[in-house]
Amino acid sequence: MKPPLFEYVRVSSVDEALDRLTELGDEAKVLAGGQSLVPLLSLRLANPAYLVDINRVGDLSHIANGPVVRLGALSRHRDVERSGLVAQSHPLLSATVKYIGHIAIRNRGTIGGSVAHADPAAELPTLLVALDGEIEARSSRGVRTLAAAEFFEGFLTTALEPDELLTEVRFPVLAAGTGWSIQEFSRRNGDFGVVTVVVTVAVDSAGRISEARISFGGVASTAVRASSAESALVGQTPSAELWKSAAHEAASSLDPSGDLHGTPQYRRHLAGVLTERALVEAHGRVEEG
Amino acid sequence: MRLVGAKIPRVEDRRILTGRGHYIDDVQLPFMLHSSFLRSPLAHGRINSIDVTEARRAPGVVAVYTGEDMKALAGPIKPVIPTGPAPEYFPLVTDKVLFVGDLVAMVVAESRAQAEDACELIEVDYDPLPAVVDYETALDPSVPPIFSDLESNVLVTRHLEGGDVDAAFKEADRVIEVELSQHRVADVPMETRGVVADYDDDSGQLTVHSATQSPQGVRIQLASTLDHPINKLVVLTQDVGGSFGLKINIFREDFCVCVASKQIGRPVKWIEDRNEHMIASGHAREEKILAQVAVSDAGDVLGLKAELTLDQGSYPGLPFGAAIFPSLIDVLLPGPYKVKGYSCDSKVITTNKCVYVAYRGPWAIETWARERLLDIVAHELGLDPAEIRRRNYLEGAEGDQLITGRSVSGITSRETLDRALALIDYEEVRSQQQVARNEGRCVGVGFATFLEAAPGPPEMRLGGGMFAGEQATVKLEADGRVTIITAQSPHGQGHETTLAQVVADEMGVSMDQVQVVYGDTRLTPFSIVGTGGSRAATWATGAVLVNARKVKEKVLAIAGAQLEVSPEDLEISEGIITPKGVPSKAISLAQIARQATLGPASLPPGTDANLESNERFLGEGITGSGWSGGTHACVVEVDLGTGAVKIVRYVVIEDCGRVINPGVVAGQIRGGVAQGIGQVFYERAAYDKEGNFLAGTFMDYLLPTAAEIPTIEIEYVESDPEGEIGFRGVGEGGIIVAPAALTNAIEDALLPFGAKITEMYLPPAKVLELAGIIEE
Ligand SMILES: Cc1cc2nc3c(=O)[nH]c(=O)nc-3n(C[C@H](O)[C@H](O)[C@H](O)COP(=O)(O)OP(=O)(O)OC[C@H]3O[C@@H](n4cnc5c(N)ncnc54)[C@H](O)[C@@H]3O)c2cc1C
Repeated sequence: MKPPLFEYVRVSSVDEALDRLTELGDEAKVLAGGQSLVPLLSLRLANPAYLVDINRVGDLSHIANGPVVRLGALSRHRDVERSGLVAQSHPLLSATVKYIGHIAIRNRGTIGGSVAHADPAAELPTLLVALDGEIEARSSRGVRTLAAAEFFEGFLTTALEPDELLTEVRFPVLAAGTGWSIQEFSRRNGDFGVVTVVVTVAVDSAGRISEARISFGGVASTAVRASSAESALVGQTPSAELWKSAAHEAASSLDPSGDLHGTPQYRRHLAGVLTERALVEAHGRVEEG
Repeated sequence: MRLVGAKIPRVEDRRILTGRGHYIDDVQLPFMLHSSFLRSPLAHGRINSIDVTEARRAPGVVAVYTGEDMKALAGPIKPVIPTGPAPEYFPLVTDKVLFVGDLVAMVVAESRAQAEDACELIEVDYDPLPAVVDYETALDPSVPPIFSDLESNVLVTRHLEGGDVDAAFKEADRVIEVELSQHRVADVPMETRGVVADYDDDSGQLTVHSATQSPQGVRIQLASTLDHPINKLVVLTQDVGGSFGLKINIFREDFCVCVASKQIGRPVKWIEDRNEHMIASGHAREEKILAQVAVSDAGDVLGLKAELTLDQGSYPGLPFGAAIFPSLIDVLLPGPYKVKGYSCDSKVITTNKCVYVAYRGPWAIETWARERLLDIVAHELGLDPAEIRRRNYLEGAEGDQLITGRSVSGITSRETLDRALALIDYEEVRSQQQVARNEGRCVGVGFATFLEAAPGPPEMRLGGGMFAGEQATVKLEADGRVTIITAQSPHGQGHETTLAQVVADEMGVSMDQVQVVYGDTRLTPFSIVGTGGSRAATWATGAVLVNARKVKEKVLAIAGAQLEVSPEDLEISEGIITPKGVPSKAISLAQIARQATLGPASLPPGTDANLESNERFLGEGITGSGWSGGTHACVVEVDLGTGAVKIVRYVVIEDCGRVINPGVVAGQIRGGVAQGIGQVFYERAAYDKEGNFLAGTFMDYLLPTAAEIPTIEIEYVESDPEGEIGFRGVGEGGIIVAPAALTNAIEDALLPFGAKITEMYLPPAKVLELAGIIEE
């Protein structure tokens, strides 16, 4: 488990990173926290000729508030988890980050790394897809902003070009009064979820559901929304039966594959159970406006 | 102060916990080379050609060996203790690969990374062959044997009977038949395998640093397979980061590394990485038992017929293979119960999977199968699982025997069950279970009883032959300090502490005066097992005690002559010898030791200046029939939404005789239970139908972490029948019984759904399948 030979390149600014990425193209891989990339190298499942280490880039670790929480690509999971700012303005984001691995992993792992790695079971992509968040990418050719739905293309595959650096991830803040929940079931404490679901629910003044979002991790090659269940919820009056039928609808829309951690049947069942629990919890957090 | 029985902190801990242990990868020798193995990607296949030209030219590469190269230098590999038909095979594959991870070639280079790079440059052309992966294929006579020099894929068959099995079945009201299977797991010590071979061309001495349970076992097998003079072969072992039975083996990689060092004339190191470890170090436990239990309607267990099949994977283990385990399993299967007739037919089969190795309690399927069967029978008869056990326990009376003819006088099965149920508050748990069921929650309680032959009754000690007896040296050094040389090779058991406790008490010195020496074949006595089979508590302790007494006798003879007191009237405390009750007249151990060392001629006539003893302890004075045992009980709650099982309470009543050090003993029990929890819920060395290995990393092979282990409450029954050596082993009881207690509790929780657990592995998906909530 020794990585194959590679050239190590350390950059200290975004511009320098972009220059090197332009020059090296798909021969290079960006090294951020290394929590996913280093294991891949050690198992020789990745074989880049160059590693471009961005850890010393100074201006990529910001955590900024507003209608959208903007996280620099290099901000560490643990910093986001402990940020009072995030806890206040985006408690769902705070709660989500806590599910990522263990403290040691969160100390090193970065927000940009998680999103660029695009593991379909990872929490942050699931949240980004739930919230229709955005990803900012830069290259020598310029800056672009990608919607979560177009960014995640498949298993460990994104719309990032080899010469692009992911620079910022944007999580829209929930509208006032919106209830939320993240439910994850993992085999052991700190593992990737077998299934993760992120739910938000908003209720109008008439007591009817005005908006619902349901996003799953771990059940497809990317995080996926349960759109049919979402639309079935809108306009309805909350009730235990409603949650149950929406959860059933959401789970039925999935076609998960199986692995050592769960059969397809199990994952679909689990998706339904977690969705129902999430809807109940999210609704409990709704503050009627 | 009496040290035996006290919770003395382990003397090993400071070194280990501060990162100053000396593990195999800490061995750094001048001019040392590193190695890496090219392993088979196929479960079964013929090698047409192998091209190492590119690899030989790669940067840093010193040597590349193919199977043919290696064959010329070592092997064939024959176990020094033959156990069943042995196929002919060599350190590296010569014609056919037999499992994913099989050894195809070896690269020796200046660094491990370079060796791995060069492995990628080796071109191998294979013809894939159909893989034998499951029991059915292996047992199919039309399938060609995977070892072409053996007649079939069934390596060993064995039959054992006790009592009158036909009569017992005739007498029965009903016969209940169940097939129970346990899945393949891996030992997974924290430290992987490793070896450093250092050949000195001038002297012809081969020094092998090995992470092993048995340096002497390594030495004798290496000498034999390498045809190397054993008196020029030294094996050294320092700290070993866990083993659980894996590192009792001598591995094909060990031969290769030694050959390379002898050939190249430089030290060669091989440290296994975790991926290799999961794929190719060794797997354990894959067995099934088809059982028929003959019972009366009242719940008397009358007869048991069993068919055991053990899948040993491909190559036999060294120095003894899986073929020896059926002879433990079939003897122990009926357990501490009054069965009238019993028969067991065993088969060991071979498949295209990794080598079967011992894993902590390698006979464990007997405990799981029996304790599972008892619950299944209880449910069929409408009896409480406690009731069926109480009805059938052997009492441990004088003359009581297992149906397989092993003495069990003095066992305390019933007492441990009673105490376990009292501790867990069985009645109360049952009523809470009802409350929970009414609330739609799913709570269960389960328990199981085990016997651990540590050391077992004399019949088993002798039957085991090579496992009986142990030698040790105890020596009073020139300054009055004591050195113990043990045949044990600890890898987590704390013998530096426990053996010192025992000898310090016996010699009348404090702990810090006693040094325990192990892991150097130039000093340590022969033992094929080293540390294994929970033998230390009785055998190693007995050996050091017997020899400490001899040394003490010699010392007191000298002191008695000098103080003009009869030796029987002397006592030693804190290193000072005084006549009992007359503390004013004294001489120190140090004075006597100094005189015996530097002025032996001045000793009183008729006394012995050799203050060292190294007799072999053969078991005289071991108390009772030598069984450890106990009962574990637990309460679980199943989440019917997710299939998660929460262990609400876990209690252990253990009888391992006199406890030397409660901290060490509790550590052994807790670690064993944790591994049992791992086996039931998390760990599986999974293969697909083609024999590809699916659990090569810790993402797929899940070990329980501290977060998954509940508080484990432990109490002791310190049964100590007549005799002198009252300590019994405790290494394996925790793991052998925990899966039974857990699966019994889960089945109990799921009884309203008609669940019957016949496979040990219960990941959340399986739990929901058993409850009928999802389809298989
Ligand atoms: C034991 C363990 C448990 C874990 N559990 C979880 C879990 O439960 N949930 C979870 O989500 N994750 C988990 N992880 C993964 C962890 O969260 C990683 O931190 C994360 O996936 C990657 O972040 P990183 O900064 O370490 O990225 P790296 O490993 O450095 O990189 C990952 C990939 O992203 C690319 N990349 C990184 N940064 C950029 C950038 N700015 N621009 C372009 N490309 C970039 C790299 O080139 C590489 O391809 C776990 C990891 C371990 C080791």
